Amino acid sequence: MSLHKDQQQEFQELAAWVIDQTAKAGAKDCRVNISKRRFVEINYRDRKPEVIKEATTQGLYLEVFVDKRFAGRSTPDFRKSTLSTFIPDLIDNARIMEEDPFRTLPDPKYYAGRTTADLDLFDYKKDLLTPEERHEMAKTVENSCLNRGGSKVISVEAGEYDDTYEEYVRSSNGFIGSNRTTEFWIGASMTAQDEGDRKPAGYHWVGCRYRNDLPSFQDVGAQAAIRTLDLMGGKKIQTETLPVIIENRGVMRLFRGLLGAMSAGNIQQKRSFLADKKGQQVGSKLLSVQDDPYLVRALGSKYYDGDGFPAKKRDLLKEGVLNEFLVDWYYGRKLDWEPNSGSISNLIIPPGTRSLETIIKDLGRCMLITDFIGGNSNSTTGDFSVGIIGKLFDKGEFVQNVAEMNMADNHLKFWNKLIEAANDPWIYSQARFPSLVFDGVVVAGI
Amino acid sequence: MKPIPRRKFLQDTAMAGGALFLLPNLEAGRMLTAEPTGNYFLREFGIDETLCQKLLAKALSKGGDFADLYFEFNVSNYLGLEDGKVNQSYGDIGLGVGIRTVKGDQIGYGFTQELTEASMMSAATTASTLCNMSATPTAGTFNRLKTGNYYPVAADFDGIPAKAKLPIVQSINEKCFAASKELVKVSAGFSNSVKRVMIVTSDGVIAEDIIPSGFVYASVVAERNGRREQSFWNLGGRRDFSYYTDALLNQVATKAVNNALTLFDAIQPPAGEMPVVLGPGVTGILLHEAIGHGMEADFNRKKISTYSTMLGKKVAEPFVTIIDDGTNMNLAGSINVDDEGVPGKKTTLVENGILTSYIHDKISARHYGIEPTGNGRRQDFQNYPMPRMRNTYMLGGTSDPEDVIKAAGNGIYVEDVSNGQVKIGEGDFAFYVSQGRLIENGKLTKPIKDVNIMGNGPRMLTNITMIAKDLGMYYGGAGQCGKNGQGVPVSFGLPTCLVKSLTVGGTQQKGGQS
Repeated sequence: MSLHKDQQQEFQELAAWVIDQTAKAGAKDCRVNISKRRFVEINYRDRKPEVIKEATTQGLYLEVFVDKRFAGRSTPDFRKSTLSTFIPDLIDNARIMEEDPFRTLPDPKYYAGRTTADLDLFDYKKDLLTPEERHEMAKTVENSCLNRGGSKVISVEAGEYDDTYEEYVRSSNGFIGSNRTTEFWIGASMTAQDEGDRKPAGYHWVGCRYRNDLPSFQDVGAQAAIRTLDLMGGKKIQTETLPVIIENRGVMRLFRGLLGAMSAGNIQQKRSFLADKKGQQVGSKLLSVQDDPYLVRALGSKYYDGDGFPAKKRDLLKEGVLNEFLVDWYYGRKLDWEPNSGSISNLIIPPGTRSLETIIKDLGRCMLITDFIGGNSNSTTGDFSVGIIGKLFDKGEFVQNVAEMNMADNHLKFWNKLIEAANDPWIYSQARFPSLVFDGVVVAGI
Repeated sequence: MKPIPRRKFLQDTAMAGGALFLLPNLEAGRMLTAEPTGNYFLREFGIDETLCQKLLAKALSKGGDFADLYFEFNVSNYLGLEDGKVNQSYGDIGLGVGIRTVKGDQIGYGFTQELTEASMMSAATTASTLCNMSATPTAGTFNRLKTGNYYPVAADFDGIPAKAKLPIVQSINEKCFAASKELVKVSAGFSNSVKRVMIVTSDGVIAEDIIPSGFVYASVVAERNGRREQSFWNLGGRRDFSYYTDALLNQVATKAVNNALTLFDAIQPPAGEMPVVLGPGVTGILLHEAIGHGMEADFNRKKISTYSTMLGKKVAEPFVTIIDDGTNMNLAGSINVDDEGVPGKKTTLVENGILTSYIHDKISARHYGIEPTGNGRRQDFQNYPMPRMRNTYMLGGTSDPEDVIKAAGNGIYVEDVSNGQVKIGEGDFAFYVSQGRLIENGKLTKPIKDVNIMGNGPRMLTNITMIAKDLGMYYGGAGQCGKNGQGVPVSFGLPTCLVKSLTVGGTQQKGGQS
């Protein structure tokens, strides 16, 4: 998707000028990224606007490669009068770095093969959105949350956020890329009165590329209230081993532990417990994860990555086997591996066939984890430990809400405990994961 | 608008940096305020009082209680080492103004990166859309705020060129590898920034400040018998270059290496509830996260904090006193003036067990009818201020640390924590214990790893049953406190103290079942 015509011309001319000036100043290899974002944010509380915020931001990020040395710097100031000192300063800075033979622009052959499909990431109707409509969106969400929360509500904050982002990227060795996207977000957070001094807070926010793809504003507000009321009376239970279900929107929090260890940077720096696991089983046969940049209108879709490599569909994990590492140009060269892009787009785990409710009925005593708190995942060892919040069930019957508990394991063991995926992929994220069921997990409480 | 003299800025800094590098042990007595703080934005960007009056009048043109302008020029730099070479240099320039209109607890906010009159007037217009009334008058004249100086730095302190920092980063790498043959990777870095700000308020205050920030770090990976462990350590704060002495670099390297090596012998403790002793210093982050956030006044005026009904009431044993302080010398959270033009102050939050004050910005101070506490802070000009902590610590008690550990009986001792998070309304928190030990029969025994501690902040505060006299502060510079998407530098501190019960999470159930 190309930029808006006038903006595109302005960015093109500026990028060409920057590259020319950088070459004249002594660095023939460089890459420049020019971007602009316009956003509006409106929050409501107590049925009146609490925050109204609106602005445009812009940035120019220049990377220079001089005699196998590198430096990068960003500035919001696009005036040629100031850039004409910014550029030589940056080159001076690069020259005093130590030599690094791997730090170069990518071989241009890797720029080829970009999709020509229109990923439909820009909502042309966005400019028609009026301030009154934005207020109405936030008000509707707030009203719905207040109504659903009823007498338990202490406070509701509801909001609308939308932005337009445009970028133009050009390198001195032939890469040119441009992109234009829109995003719309609505949601609310609610605080409720629980027993004693406890005031649980829950939230529900959703985002889309197109405004018309947002779900009903009333539903969003009601969901925020329901998710908050679901936290009432949360208490810890005895430490025990039982099946746990990670709710769809929370799966990415744990999956990041695997993803981080798949990056070439961590592997080269000996901080990856997956470094020697390519082609090996690291999870159960149900664990397949696809990286798909071509999903139309999706939040993670893209045409190219930060190196200028064309975004491509790939299987990161297939039936539990680690299929791909995330290899960018720099660390690929250090490892002497073929680069394949170090960044992700949309991640997809195939959904199962059964609903969450049906699965819970069949599991006996089990815990549905709806949120995490704190914690850590060690990319070197694979050990992780994270605070959990959720609900305890027995044969489908609700037992109690759960708080102040912990789940710890090692990723190489944990993902092998995956026994089922529900049929509920979370579509308001670049991680389109369904809820996942894991057997035999220790949850620590009393 | 005058062009930004960046070239000059960098040239000047290069010269001064060379001089400083020859005098790495500059004595405190020679430290001076960096430069007269007045009129920087007038000098460099042509922002005069007439223009400020105009912008404030526009921001209040449709009414409102007050308005303010926050001008910022921030230059940050980072040098990084990997595989033995200082091969990464990154930098960022931030420039702009944020304009806020406030009515009650409502905020209209606009900002711009262009310090032209037209662009700034447009941002002021955006802020003014909050209201729909007749204009509010602004003060006719401005008074320059006089503040303390809690981060005195050498003249031209911001003039350290990258070339002078290179040996620092290389030295950390060398010291790490010299400390252990078991290291397989080291990365190290030097990050620093200099932020110039000017706050102008509709009630007639102009405040300016120059704010240094920085830190050095070492991140290491060690290998023993095919197993690897990693660790990270940093030191910094609001300091000038003279802080980064050879001795300090040794501290950073030694701590990072020793922490990684310790983990080879570490075990997971049993999971479940047990006594927890918090060691001095960095564990103060628990105080910050689990208790301090709940005392931020925005959460309390909205009645969503567990502390919203506790002002003047007992929240801890009488030997517990908690301070939030912007006036500690050179700590990461120190501020000469907050981001609303209120001087940096020291605020007692809990005195002898009684909750005596919340952490206020101007909005909450007006709500409660008190003076602001100087805690109105923001990440940058793109964000409006809100109540934020500065340096938060608990005063020391009378016990010896060994006696506190002895009193725990069996439990864990926490030396270092990270990745903390709190749920304000419930007060529940979770922290990752990155360094610690088992306490068995009142004595420190095996190191522990890969566990969380969880609990409820207000309950933890009431469960502190013993405090040692060894208050330690966190002297790092890498830590940022996050709230509503905004990060600000903070510090914290704690003496050794005993919490009679917290949940320890792991895979080892009591009784040995895994």
